[in-house]
Amino acid sequence: MFNEKNDRRKIEDDRRKPDSERRHSDIVIPENKLVAEIQILREEFIKTTEKLIRDVKRQDKIMVRSDKRQQKEYDQLQLQFKQVEFLNKEIEETQREIIFTMGAIGEARSKETGNHVRRVAEYSKLLALFYGLAPSDAELLKQASPMHDIGKIAIPDSILNKPGKLTSEERVIMDTHAGLGYEMLRHSTRPLLKIAATVANEHHEKWDGSGYPNGLSGENIHIYGRITALADVFDALGCDRVYKKAWDDKKIFNLFREERGKHFDPKLVDIFFDNLDDFLEIREKLKDVVN
Amino acid sequence: MENIIIDETKYTPKIVLDALKGEISFVGKSYPENTFEFYNPIMNWLEDYFSKTKNNNTIINFEIIYFNSSSSKLFFDFFDTVEEASEDHDVIINWIYDEENDSALEAGEDFIEDFENLNFNLVKK
Repeated sequence: MFNEKNDRRKIEDDRRKPDSERRHSDIVIPENKLVAEIQILREEFIKTTEKLIRDVKRQDKIMVRSDKRQQKEYDQLQLQFKQVEFLNKEIEETQREIIFTMGAIGEARSKETGNHVRRVAEYSKLLALFYGLAPSDAELLKQASPMHDIGKIAIPDSILNKPGKLTSEERVIMDTHAGLGYEMLRHSTRPLLKIAATVANEHHEKWDGSGYPNGLSGENIHIYGRITALADVFDALGCDRVYKKAWDDKKIFNLFREERGKHFDPKLVDIFFDNLDDFLEIREKLKDVVN
Repeated sequence: MENIIIDETKYTPKIVLDALKGEISFVGKSYPENTFEFYNPIMNWLEDYFSKTKNNNTIINFEIIYFNSSSSKLFFDFFDTVEEASEDHDVIINWIYDEENDSALEAGEDFIEDFENLNFNLVKK
């Protein structure tokens, strides 16, 4: 078929040439095998290039689809990240509210004044920051702090709200609130509640080992416990309670100086006095409103 | 010839190649670590199947919910083989997709566009 085509072309070419150059029709040009081979090559080449073009087009299609899908997936992921972030905040917020509410329950039962737990939380955070803890840890301590007295909900009203000095038997019962609070909180695996458990358990421990419930001393008392101890006592002394009147600052500061290295971590007492204005500012800002 | 059944994994679909029934199916996800290596036995089986059977009615069900780019390329190669064989085999391909899965539907449409000679059905689940 190709040879016929070739021959036709040759004849047509001849017709376009001047007479002198035109070949005689009776001359037979032998079939050139090389031409036939080139023809086959050309067919193969066309087939291959067509396949290549088809493949390249397919690749382009795959790429466009893939890009489109990736963008969609990326958008979905971003959306999901935002949702997860929102839910995480929601969980943290809920935890915080529950913890604060539990603290408030304890506070309400012991008829302590409204802002006591808030102030202790703020003092604790400030002490933690000045002590050199990471801001995130200081924030966790602030959030866990309101539950330091949660064990008091298990103490009978007659003891908890007794106007006057407790008998030694009553004191023993009262002092169980630290361990009781720990028992209530210790089963949680949540970091915040674990900290709250530690704080509840150790906020009545004393630097010299004379505290309760475990008589821990020095740095064996968790820093969160040492901090809350100081913050709690500072605030409690300055408030009226059913069993005592509020102390004035001079008396409080004297006690702190005396108890430096006894009740309290000396480093924390130093931090407290070095930054006294900051603590007094919190006290002023969150002072109890007298009805 | 032997049938091949490959269980679904986290990254690869369940594959059933049943020569006797003339049924081939892919169900699940397809993003193997090495796509061409994973599908190599499948492609060999397919060529073998078409060369050993004649005028056989074959149904191919594709229900791939998620696939990577190299799987997409592999499926094109797969349909190339099917298209070549379809000259002397009756082959029906069902591309099964979920209504909410745009990517699966679009891929099915791409294959239909590329393989005009194949009997390709888009089947909504």
